[in-house]
Amino acid sequence: MWSGTVSFSLVAIPVRLVKAVKPGHITFRTLHRTDYSPLARRMYCPKHEQIVPPDEIVRGYEIVPDRYLPITDEELESVSPERSRTIEIIEFIDMDEVDPIYYDHPYYLVPLKGGEKAYRLLAEVMRRTNRAGLAKFVMVEREYLVAVISTEGALAMITLHYSEEVLPDDGIAPKEEKMDAKELSLMEQSIRNMTADFDPGKYANNRRESVMELVKLKMKEHAPVEAPAVEEEAGVGPPDLVAALEEIMRDVKKSR
Amino acid sequence: MSRKVIEIAGRRLALSNLEKDLYPSWGFTKAHVLDYYRRIAAFMLPHLKDRALTLKRYPDGVGKAFFFVKRCPDYHPVWAKTAEVRRGSSKMMTVCLANNLETLLWVENLASLELHVPLSRTGSPETPDAMVFDLDPGEQATILDCAIVALILRILLTRLRLASYPKTSGQKGLHVYVPLNYREATFEDTKIFSKTVAVIMQKNYPDLVTAKMAKEQRTGKVFINWSQNDASKTMICVYSLRAREKPFVSFPLEWKELERLVRQGKPESLQVMYSEAVSRVEESGDLFRQVLIKKQKLPHL
Amino acid sequence: MSGGTIWKGSVHFGDMDVPVKLHTAVKEERIQFHLLHRRDRVRLHQQMICVYEKTPVQPEAQIKGFEVEEGKYVIVDQEELEQTTPESSRMIEVHEFVKSSQIYPLFLDHVYYLEPDSEIYASRYNELVGALQRMSMAGICTWTMRKRSYLGAVQARGKILRLSTLRYADEVISAASLELQEIPVSEKELNIGSELINQLTAPFEPQKFKNEHQKRLQQLIDKKARGEKVVLLRPRILQPTAQDKLLEVLEASLKKAA
Repeated sequence: MWSGTVSFSLVAIPVRLVKAVKPGHITFRTLHRTDYSPLARRMYCPKHEQIVPPDEIVRGYEIVPDRYLPITDEELESVSPERSRTIEIIEFIDMDEVDPIYYDHPYYLVPLKGGEKAYRLLAEVMRRTNRAGLAKFVMVEREYLVAVISTEGALAMITLHYSEEVLPDDGIAPKEEKMDAKELSLMEQSIRNMTADFDPGKYANNRRESVMELVKLKMKEHAPVEAPAVEEEAGVGPPDLVAALEEIMRDVKKSR
Repeated sequence: MSRKVIEIAGRRLALSNLEKDLYPSWGFTKAHVLDYYRRIAAFMLPHLKDRALTLKRYPDGVGKAFFFVKRCPDYHPVWAKTAEVRRGSSKMMTVCLANNLETLLWVENLASLELHVPLSRTGSPETPDAMVFDLDPGEQATILDCAIVALILRILLTRLRLASYPKTSGQKGLHVYVPLNYREATFEDTKIFSKTVAVIMQKNYPDLVTAKMAKEQRTGKVFINWSQNDASKTMICVYSLRAREKPFVSFPLEWKELERLVRQGKPESLQVMYSEAVSRVEESGDLFRQVLIKKQKLPHL
Repeated sequence: MSGGTIWKGSVHFGDMDVPVKLHTAVKEERIQFHLLHRRDRVRLHQQMICVYEKTPVQPEAQIKGFEVEEGKYVIVDQEELEQTTPESSRMIEVHEFVKSSQIYPLFLDHVYYLEPDSEIYASRYNELVGALQRMSMAGICTWTMRKRSYLGAVQARGKILRLSTLRYADEVISAASLELQEIPVSEKELNIGSELINQLTAPFEPQKFKNEHQKRLQQLIDKKARGEKVVLLRPRILQPTAQDKLLEVLEASLKKAA
C-alpha cells in the first residue's frame, strides 16, 4: 500500500500503511448460476469486450458527458506534492474532544527500518497524554484529514470526514425538552442493570455461529455443489507417448 | 489466553492461545501443533522454500470453520519473506514464503494446520519442478486401492525411465511425485503427460481407475487427478498436518513399504501420525529429498 | 438539516421502547474519477467475470455460495444468512450498556442521527439521552435493516441520540498481530515528548480544515482540459530522524515550539 513519513515538529518517522479492517470470517463467493464457476470482480472494457489489466488502466475525469480526460498518478501526486508522501501532524488534540462522527476509515501505521524508536515514543507519549495528532495527507486523488491515534501500543491512522460533510443535526432533537425525573432514574437503573464490559468478540462469534448453523442446515438439504474443473474431452495424448504406454500396459497385464 | 514470546534468530514472535485444543478428539493443542512443526521444520522447510504458501486456517480447531488464506496478511511480521505473484490474468498478490523456522511458526500460530504449496517456485511460476499424480479414492474405494494404482503407475514410470516417489495425502489418498528439476519443464507438458497416463490407465483398468473429474464416475474407483499439474493449483506440502479427526501427516513412503502394506490389507496402517512422522524422519531423514534434486526429463512428448 | 429518514425502528431494552427515525449524518462530495482504458480512453466498468471462461456474467446469472471446502460451495441466500432477526421486527435491540470510552475508534463505522418517531415519545427520548449522557454509556445493539444485520452502539451527543454501526471483531485487525518490536524509550525522551505534544495541542476544531486539495485538483484538471502543460512536481520525502539523534531533535522541537 502506501509508504512515507509521519512527522510532528522536527521528528520524522518512516512508516507504511497497512489495513486495519478486513472482511470477516464469513465470506461468500459469487458463483455462476449455471455451473457454479466462481466469479471475480474485474475491470472490463465494454467496447473491446475484454478484461483490462491494471497497467492499462488510467484515471479519467469526465469533462463533458462521455468524454474523459486522463489524469496520471504523477499528475495527481503533483497537486499537493508536500502531502503525498508525508503525514504531517499539524496539531495534537485531546482524544476526549474528538467527535467520533468524524471517523471514517482506519489504517495502521507500521514503522519502517530506522523509525522504530521514534514510532514507539510517539505511540507512548500520545497514550500517556491521551492525545491524537491531526494531519492532512493525500492518497491517490484524495486529500484526507486524518487523526493519528495510539492504540494497543501501535499507531493507527483514521481518516476523518471534513466538517462540511457532517450534516447538521438541527431538527433531530424533539421540540419539547420535557423529561420525567422518575422515569429518568428508572431508565438509569435499567441501564445499570445491563452494564457490561465492551467485548466485541462475542458478537462476531454469535454471528459466525448463526451463519454456520444455517450453512449446516443447508448442507443437509443439498450437498455442496462443486465448481467445474477445467476439463476437456478425454482424448488421446501425444502419439509416441500413447504408443509407449500401451506397450508397457500390455506387458504389465501379462505379468500380473 | 496464554501468550508466550519466543526468539528465533534474533526475531521475536509472540505465540498465543497455546492451550487451544485444535484436534479435540485427540487432545492435540496449538502448543502440540507448534511443537510438531518446530521438530519437523528441518525436513519440511526445503519443500516449502520459495513456494507461494496457501494457509488453511482452523482457528477453532478441526471440524470447525476454516479459511483458505492465499494472500499474505498485511500484518505479517516485517521479517517474514513475501513474494509478489500474479493472480488470475491481471492482479498481483503478495504471498508468504515459509523460508525459515520463524515464518513457519508464525503461520502456525495462526492455526494454519494445513500448508499447501504449488508445484513451482515464485521465481519461476510457470516451471513445475515436479509432476504429480494425485490419487483420490471415490466413494467405496480406499487408500489401499490408491496404493494398488500407485504401484502400477510406478511400473509404467520406471519403464519410461522416470523415478517416482509416493507420499500419503494424510487424508484418504496418495500422491506420486515425479521430480523434474529442469528449466524447460512446463505445466503444459506435465499436464498432457499425466493426463495421457491417466487416460491409458483408465482404459486398461476401467474398474479401478478413472481420469474423469465427475463425482458419479468415481464410485469404487481411484481418480487420477492429473489436473493438479497446473500453475494455479496447490498440493498439500509433504510433512504438513491434515485437519482430520486425528493429527495425520502427509508423509513420504518407500515403494517397498507400500508393497508390504498393500499385502497386509489394512488401510489405517498407511496413515502416519505426527509422532511417528517425527521419529521416522529423525531416523531415516527426508525420504522426499530426491523430489527436490533429481533431474529428469519427460520422454515421448 | 440532516438527510431524510432512511429507516424507522425502535430502540429496545428491558421493557423500554423508544421509536426512532434514522437519518444520514455524513454526506461526502468529492471529485469523481472514472477508470479508463489507457489506449483509447474507453470508460471501464467493474464486472463479475467467470474465472474460467473470462467472460462477463450478468447479475441475474449470479448466485452466492459459502465455501465449505476448496471449490465446494453451499448455495445460500446471503441475505437470509446475514439476517439474524427478522427485518419486520424493526427492533434495535440493546443487549448491554458499556462505558462509551471502551469502544475503540477502530470499531466505529457509519453514524446515523436518531430522531424520535413522534413528539409523543419526546420525553422518553430525552430521558434516554439524559441517562446515557450522565452515565457516559453506550448501548450495544443489533438490528436488521435492508436485509442485513448490524451491530451498533446507541450513544447520546448534545440533545440527540446517535446510532453508530460497529465493525465485527473479526473484521478489525488487532494491533498485536502487527508484531511490533518492543523498543525501550527513556523516561527523559518520553517527558520531553509529552511536553512537546502539550505545546502543540489545540482544541478540536475540524471546521478549520478545508479540503484545499479539491480546488487545486480542479485547477489541474481545467488546465489540462485547456491543453496547457501541467508541471509535474516531485513529492517531498522527509529524511527520517536518526535513532540516536531522537533526544536532540525532540529538544530542538521543544525550543521551536516554545
